[in-house]
Amino acid sequence: MSAIPNTIQIKKHDSQTSLTHIACPECDLLQSIPPLAVSESVLCLRCDKTLYTHHKNSIDRSLAFAITGLLLYIIANMFPLLSLKALGLTQDSTLFSTALALFQADRPFLSIIMLLTTIVFPATTLIGTIYILLQVKTNKINELTAPLFRFLRSTDAWGMLEIFMLAMLVAIVKLGDVAEVVFGISLYAFVLLILTLTLLSASLDPHDVWNKLREKNVNEGNNV
Amino acid sequence: MNMQTARQAGLIACHFCNTLNKVPTVSENDTQQEYFCSCCQSEIHSRIPNSLSTTWALLIAAIILYIPANTLPIMTVVMWGDGQPDTIMSGVFHLLDSGMWPLALLIFVASIFIPVLKLIILTGLVLSVHFKSHWKPRDRTLLYRITEFVGRWSMVDIFVIGILVSLVQFGNTASVSPGIGALSFSAVVILTMFAAHSFDPRLIWDVIDDYYKTTSLKEFVHERHEKARTL
Ligand SMILES: [Zn+2]
Ligand SMILES: [Zn+2]
Repeated sequence: MSAIPNTIQIKKHDSQTSLTHIACPECDLLQSIPPLAVSESVLCLRCDKTLYTHHKNSIDRSLAFAITGLLLYIIANMFPLLSLKALGLTQDSTLFSTALALFQADRPFLSIIMLLTTIVFPATTLIGTIYILLQVKTNKINELTAPLFRFLRSTDAWGMLEIFMLAMLVAIVKLGDVAEVVFGISLYAFVLLILTLTLLSASLDPHDVWNKLREKNVNEGNNV
Repeated sequence: MNMQTARQAGLIACHFCNTLNKVPTVSENDTQQEYFCSCCQSEIHSRIPNSLSTTWALLIAAIILYIPANTLPIMTVVMWGDGQPDTIMSGVFHLLDSGMWPLALLIFVASIFIPVLKLIILTGLVLSVHFKSHWKPRDRTLLYRITEFVGRWSMVDIFVIGILVSLVQFGNTASVSPGIGALSFSAVVILTMFAAHSFDPRLIWDVIDDYYKTTSLKEFVHERHEKARTL
């Protein structure tokens, strides 16, 4: 290990512009990225942080998952997720009605949290990812790509549909004791949506997007 | 083996795209100077600015709000006109009484165990950096990683309340209303998520790097990795 990257931080590799060195985001140690086989990861030498994973067909697969996810998201929001039958009455619940019910119960703060974590951020993640991956695929990256992708990366932890799924399971068991809980049509779409979102985050390689951006910067730098 | 941190090499790594940016001088007081990533144009810092004080402020706010979150009712279940307010803990006991111990365990872990653990770990990490501790940096980084990963799952009880409020709407016969404790609890979860986000784990290693300078990083580098990789 002798080469400390001073100016050469990028290399042309498989017709892609990618990083040769990486600084660990959690301990700042500078290290080179060795050649990796598909789905192999490189861990930080001193703190074990996963620095980089080599994905296979990341863009195509992620795009497929994101489009599937968006369709499932729409279906999951169109019909009731759960219904409660009691006293001859039926009460339906959707993601939106949950946020609305909290608002009507004089808890606007909880309502906004619910709205952001279960409706807004999942939607921006899906739509934004589709938009950016299409741009990468068709080589039409513009000045909005980087800020948009940064927004998606920073709001990633705030989309909490999988936690809502767990909460529904808890509610089903809790209410099952005292009333009849009926699974709505959307519940099935919702379960598939959680699966798709998991696959999406596992297959998406952010470096594909950043490498494209780097390539564009380098090309423009060469032209000037 | 001669390895360096990005800071020692005069580089700032971008938080988003990992691009290493060459900067004139990376000093402790680089807060006045603003740098932007050459690849994605985001603002870059060698370390998160004011990391410790921001984390402290968020942690203290979370610890204060944790008290009403546990003592005030998180929801009130009204059955046949009778209201029964529940705190987080009494909710867990009700689940135990009705024999639903897996649920009781789940809610206990998500609503009590994880938030308390998170507050303790983050406080410990901030103190360890403050007192320039050399104690097991790799383990402390792992603790930080776990804290960051599991924190959001504490929201599950808030979501359960939301679902119950929206489903159980049968007027005076049966209804559920969210309590002020739920508000405090969600604030605790969100504040600790921000606190974990504002803590910079690189500070743990800076203490050691400053002490050993550039030479002795080797002590903290795994042997097995050295064999597995050619550097
Ligand atoms: Zn590391
Ligand atoms: Zn960047």
